[in-house]
Amino acid sequence: MKKLLSIFLLSIALFAAPRVGDDAVKFELPDIYAQNKSLKSESLHGKVVLLNMWASWCSGCQEEMPLFVQLQSEFSRSEFEIVLANIDNEAKNGIDFLSKVDAKRSLKTLYDSQKSLPKAYQCPGMPSSFLINQNGKIVDVYIGSLDTDGISKLKQTIKKLLGK
Amino acid sequence: MKKVTILLLFALFISACSDKLVRVMPYEKEYFAQDKMSLSPISERAEQEGHIFLIREASAGGESSFQGGCGCR
Repeated sequence: MKKLLSIFLLSIALFAAPRVGDDAVKFELPDIYAQNKSLKSESLHGKVVLLNMWASWCSGCQEEMPLFVQLQSEFSRSEFEIVLANIDNEAKNGIDFLSKVDAKRSLKTLYDSQKSLPKAYQCPGMPSSFLINQNGKIVDVYIGSLDTDGISKLKQTIKKLLGK
Repeated sequence: MKKVTILLLFALFISACSDKLVRVMPYEKEYFAQDKMSLSPISERAEQEGHIFLIREASAGGESSFQGGCGCR
């Protein structure tokens, strides 16, 4: 009976979405601009990361993207990096949208054709962003698009994490 | 007794998964977001019709990239 209960609890834990304080989900995804190059989540350790799941068809994602471009410009990429995971059915749609708002390609953008990240995080809305600290732990979760107020609060949290 | 416990746990397990099985998740709504999926060619009207559709069908999150509404707004 105890075994059965532990298997049941374990299966519940396996289906649970990652929350604040949990380890961020590990991934390896191709760059949207050069799909032969991929990025492993391990390579982001030591940095504060804002992992954002977005799609070109999502209006909220479109609204917050220019704010992300501005936010990234305020921090060095060696200490804080915005990592976008695009989940469009076709990468071209994501690239077309980014060419309008981030022509300089200042945001690291990955292509998640299988939607593995939103599935792993069990995102209840689009866009979804996860702030991850230098040790790879989730510090904050943002469901829905961030407005200017949200970005200023986020900036404060990032500065706190960076000890500034 | 053991069989009943296993059945109960199985039922609980299945019911916990059911929401994810029947509901279109927000990240799977690319086709819903296309213009041709709109209920009306007039955007203002489509929004209102979509809202009424949600209330009438008691469906959740079928017409936008975010979650569904209760129809109380």
